[in-house]
Amino acid sequence: MAVTADGGAQDAPVTLALRRFRDQYGKLLEWVVGALMIILFVEVTAGVVFRAVGHSLIWYDEVASILLAWLTYYGSALASVKRAHIGCPELVDALPWGPRRLINIGAQLVVIAFFVTLGWVGATIMPILAGDAMVSLPWVPLNFVHSVIPVSSALIVIAELTYLIDLVVARGPPTPAGGAAALADGRH
Amino acid sequence: MAIMLGLFVAVLALVLLNVPIAVSLGVVALIAMLATHGMAALPNLAIVAYNGATSFPLLAIPLFILAGAIMNASGISRRLIAFASAIFGWIRGGLAHVSIGASLFFAEISGSAVADVAALGSILIPGMKAKGYPAPFAAAVMSSSATLAVIIPPSIPMILYAVMAETSVVQLFVAGIVPGLIGGFGLMGMAYVFARRYNLPREEAFAWSRVARTAREALWAFLLPIIILGGIFGGVVTATEGAALAVVAALVVGLLIYRELNISHLRQAVLEGGIQTAVVMLLVATSALLGTYLTEVQAPQALAKAVADLTSNKWVVLALLNVLFLLLGMFLHSAAAIILVVPIVMPLVRSVGIDPVHFGLIVTINLGIGQQTPPVASVLMVASSIAKESVWAVSRVNVWFIAVLVAVLLLVTYVPVVGLGLVEYFYR
Repeated sequence: MAVTADGGAQDAPVTLALRRFRDQYGKLLEWVVGALMIILFVEVTAGVVFRAVGHSLIWYDEVASILLAWLTYYGSALASVKRAHIGCPELVDALPWGPRRLINIGAQLVVIAFFVTLGWVGATIMPILAGDAMVSLPWVPLNFVHSVIPVSSALIVIAELTYLIDLVVARGPPTPAGGAAALADGRH
Repeated sequence: MAIMLGLFVAVLALVLLNVPIAVSLGVVALIAMLATHGMAALPNLAIVAYNGATSFPLLAIPLFILAGAIMNASGISRRLIAFASAIFGWIRGGLAHVSIGASLFFAEISGSAVADVAALGSILIPGMKAKGYPAPFAAAVMSSSATLAVIIPPSIPMILYAVMAETSVVQLFVAGIVPGLIGGFGLMGMAYVFARRYNLPREEAFAWSRVARTAREALWAFLLPIIILGGIFGGVVTATEGAALAVVAALVVGLLIYRELNISHLRQAVLEGGIQTAVVMLLVATSALLGTYLTEVQAPQALAKAVADLTSNKWVVLALLNVLFLLLGMFLHSAAAIILVVPIVMPLVRSVGIDPVHFGLIVTINLGIGQQTPPVASVLMVASSIAKESVWAVSRVNVWFIAVLVAVLLLVTYVPVVGLGLVEYFYR
């Protein structure tokens, strides 16, 4: 096993491939999240302007709430890629690599199990919602609105699976460049 | 009560095993729901997880984050620092006072302490080190003063609290103004004590001409929050609409007036806003799952009754809640602590007659302190990493600044008029 200059174990080829995949995958999700942020901002601003001139948009509240939910879940997929979800890695990080790896694999499995369940349940309610529509925009089916749960869950599972594989094939602690855990904390 | 304790222990165990907090909440809620209702509970999971993320008032969060990120990329931080330097630079330990002063001003733009410490600290901490200030002191000053960002409006924890407690975010914003100023001047007093001990230098002498010049340059940085907060306080716009206007204003200043904003900054600001919103909102959504279950088993009411059987003295209850939040603040991010605990303690808070706005202010300051106390201390971590100092070394100095913030917390808790005075005057 080769060792890099900073003492970390060299990454396996599959780890490098996954990292490249995540870069591209993250870029794709950045487009989605960026677009949602901009649409959200434009929509709320338009709502303020139209209300100010006395022509309130009836669909303003409902659409804004939907956009927030979409931003939450698609943004969560991007946060999974960037390891930005709020957590408490301090305790596990203080452990030696062996137990740390095992616990992190376990934690990763819990995350994947949760989103597989959420996505599966989200998909099964699609037929139940068939025929229902938004209140203020009756031509928008509720199915489309609620599709965010199964779709984003699948996107999150993909991102989390790549990190799971990383942990399984890892031969030693991640090198700083791949040290995504550094991002897992420190927001807010 | 036993159920609630069991759920808390389960969530805490998962969190300590490095499962993200949002997922820990969701998993525990899911298991509890399955245990009570069997498979029939499952369709509800997706519906509640979706509905939990659709809270209209929380729309203010992405927009305020976006506005702050854009303003920061527009060169506003630099101008605020120059202005603070003109006002406070002549005092011994000038740069430390400039840091606190700039945080006071920045707080009116930013709703997040991490944004504040990242924006100002990256300029001021290296500046202080270059002038011979001890690095742990530089980091501690920056870290503790960043707390002002969540006390002075706009404030993301306050928005979260107002939604969770179903109270007025506007009144909460107004309540933060005086305690924020007291905190700022208190921190300056402590910085002065250290400046004498370390024999730190003054910056240039005070000159009105310099104040006038830097104020002109920073004019927009002051005018915007005055217009936007004025609109919110005056009831002209809601907090969410005010946040959207803040983004418009930030774009105008960045693109047309200061002309320092470019596409790459903008892209960064939009993505930063999106991710930060998503991680908080996912917490809100999955806590709605647990909340649904807790409401079903009437846990908050049970807690209120259990405490009421012990004491109905609101000052004692406030003391207990302060201790609870201080402890939680050491282990949880402020957003997580608010989302998790506020809905559970609200029936208790109301039943002993505590004003929900007063309590919101207490929770906000308390959790602001939580961002300074390891092991989970997001603001302290950022300041320490900018200063390239260990968290421990910074904390040894920071403990004195934390003491100032605790004094403000006690003042606000036990002399309610400090926070509620303006609220009473304008809104009640």
